Amino acid sequence: MIKVKNLVKTYPGKVPTLALKDVSLEIAKGEFVALMGRSGSGKSTLLHQLGLLDIPTTGNVVINNIDVLALSDAKRTRFRLQHLGYVFQEYALIAEFTAFENVYFPAMALGDYKAKERTAYFLDIVGLGDRMDHYPSEMSGGEQQRVAIARALINNPKVLFADEPTANLDTVSSEIIFKLFQKLNKELRQTILVVTHEPEDKKYVDRVVWLKDGKIIEDVT
Amino acid sequence: MNATDIKTAFFIAYKTIIKGHKSTVALIVFILSLSFFNLMFVSGFLSGFSDGIMRSMVDTSTAHIIVMPQEEPTRKDFIPEQKSVRAQIQTIPGIVATSSHYQLGGSISYDRENNGKIKSVSAPIIGVTQSEEKDVLMVQENMVSGEFPDNLIKDEIILGANLAGGFGTKQTTDLGGAKVGDKVQINYANGITRTYTVKGIFKVTIGGIGGTAFVSAKEAEAVLSTYDNASEIMVRVDLAKNTLDEYIQRIETIFPELKVEKYTVRLSTVGILVSAFDIIALIVSAISILVAAITIFVMIYVNAVSKRRQIGILKAIGIKESIIELSYIIQSLFYAIWGVIFGLGIIFWLVIPFLALRPILMPFGNASLVYTSVGIFINISSLIISGILAGFIPAKIVAREDILKSIWG
Repeated sequence: MIKVKNLVKTYPGKVPTLALKDVSLEIAKGEFVALMGRSGSGKSTLLHQLGLLDIPTTGNVVINNIDVLALSDAKRTRFRLQHLGYVFQEYALIAEFTAFENVYFPAMALGDYKAKERTAYFLDIVGLGDRMDHYPSEMSGGEQQRVAIARALINNPKVLFADEPTANLDTVSSEIIFKLFQKLNKELRQTILVVTHEPEDKKYVDRVVWLKDGKIIEDVT
Repeated sequence: MNATDIKTAFFIAYKTIIKGHKSTVALIVFILSLSFFNLMFVSGFLSGFSDGIMRSMVDTSTAHIIVMPQEEPTRKDFIPEQKSVRAQIQTIPGIVATSSHYQLGGSISYDRENNGKIKSVSAPIIGVTQSEEKDVLMVQENMVSGEFPDNLIKDEIILGANLAGGFGTKQTTDLGGAKVGDKVQINYANGITRTYTVKGIFKVTIGGIGGTAFVSAKEAEAVLSTYDNASEIMVRVDLAKNTLDEYIQRIETIFPELKVEKYTVRLSTVGILVSAFDIIALIVSAISILVAAITIFVMIYVNAVSKRRQIGILKAIGIKESIIELSYIIQSLFYAIWGVIFGLGIIFWLVIPFLALRPILMPFGNASLVYTSVGIFINISSLIISGILAGFIPAKIVAREDILKSIWG
């Protein structure tokens, strides 16, 4: 599903920062993988490169047999919409859209106007079937994050990326989110790559990739 | 960009406007409506000013078309058989009326106190048949004293207020206050001297007609020892039926030997004034459009910058930059269109009725706002196009930003 080879990311500046050092990794379809490590270890940077939110300095990223770094900007944008789903740390919902519209919107942008049933289905899955018409400002952090998960799933992505999705949530909400990921992984065979710094989250995933100083130091299944 | 992209952009714009702060939306629309009102009012007022001056010139001095005697191969003083010439001109559809003028020059003398202290001034004197003239030039509607009768008799004269004097600023070129019933003497250029009774005084402030005197055509013919000639034929037309150039072309076809001119060639200093107003209107319009464009630019830029994170999220989930840009253009269009609607509302439902109730008096009559459908279209298009550009540029700047930078700053 995902093949990463010799990935290097350097942030330019007076003193360039080498954030990823020759990272190579493979993730199979249906895997639920956690990227773990200390703050500054490069886990979020790696997720951003894999999720095409940023361009690595050197290296290769192949997703679903497509060399995604060879795609033009426009095609990469389309690829993100069509094949990748994101859940950000700070919910990242559109404040002007209702829960339903936030979830439906990516499908609409893809031209899938029949996605309304699917939108309702995913909102049901995340337990918000009765909050569809609510705006983000009317929802709790946990609820907003569940809307973000439903939004990430609406276009049936090949991979679901989640960048510290529970960092701003209480323990109960965090557990709900991870159990939801687990359910999606088991029931829908959804490939999930999640960045987390909570050691107890290990129990939900199939595999943990540990990073330190921009390098993979351990890969535990 | 396909239909889905456009629909998506509309959806973003719609939700942003609907869920945006109502007061912000109202403020933007209000500012744009004022900008558009300013654009419309200044251009309409200056157009009205130019239009009023032109109308005054056409109504009192030049008519629409002036037919003059042959110039080539030899210059002639008169148009011969003017009645026949006018009759043929009047067969052209759309010609409203014609009249003939005899132009005479002379020195007019007036003894105000009847004490031998005579004041003499040079002035143009025009011989007219008022029963015909009144359908072409409306001097008789500008009388400030006496009358301009249809049957002006041989020893009667009509004076312009600037010539008679006593109706405004004292000038060295006036007679010092000739009144109706007074006697004036004219020494014509050909040496003939005649005495006339002032029958009426008219006041026209636009153009040079206010310094002119009118005598009857028969009197002019007697002075010039001629008959059925004309120094010039004035033609009033219906501009709704044909353009001025079309009328001129028709007259020239019938009388190729005569010189035919449109009134604009006689505007002289008035023409310079009108051109200056047109330039001022253009400059003010350009500034108004620029102000409106900058307003939209600032509003959209501030809006886009405050929505930077949202733009980053949209890009992250795979929304094209062009869709985001279009959504901001649609928002600009929304503001611009409502600005135009409210601006038009202020002009047509407030200002025009107000000016009708409380008119501003100008030298040519009441000031009015004059608009043509083309002019209104240009003003609306200008504001909308500047709105599109002013919305596009900040959206482009913000939408081009790196995704992660947009989301996390």
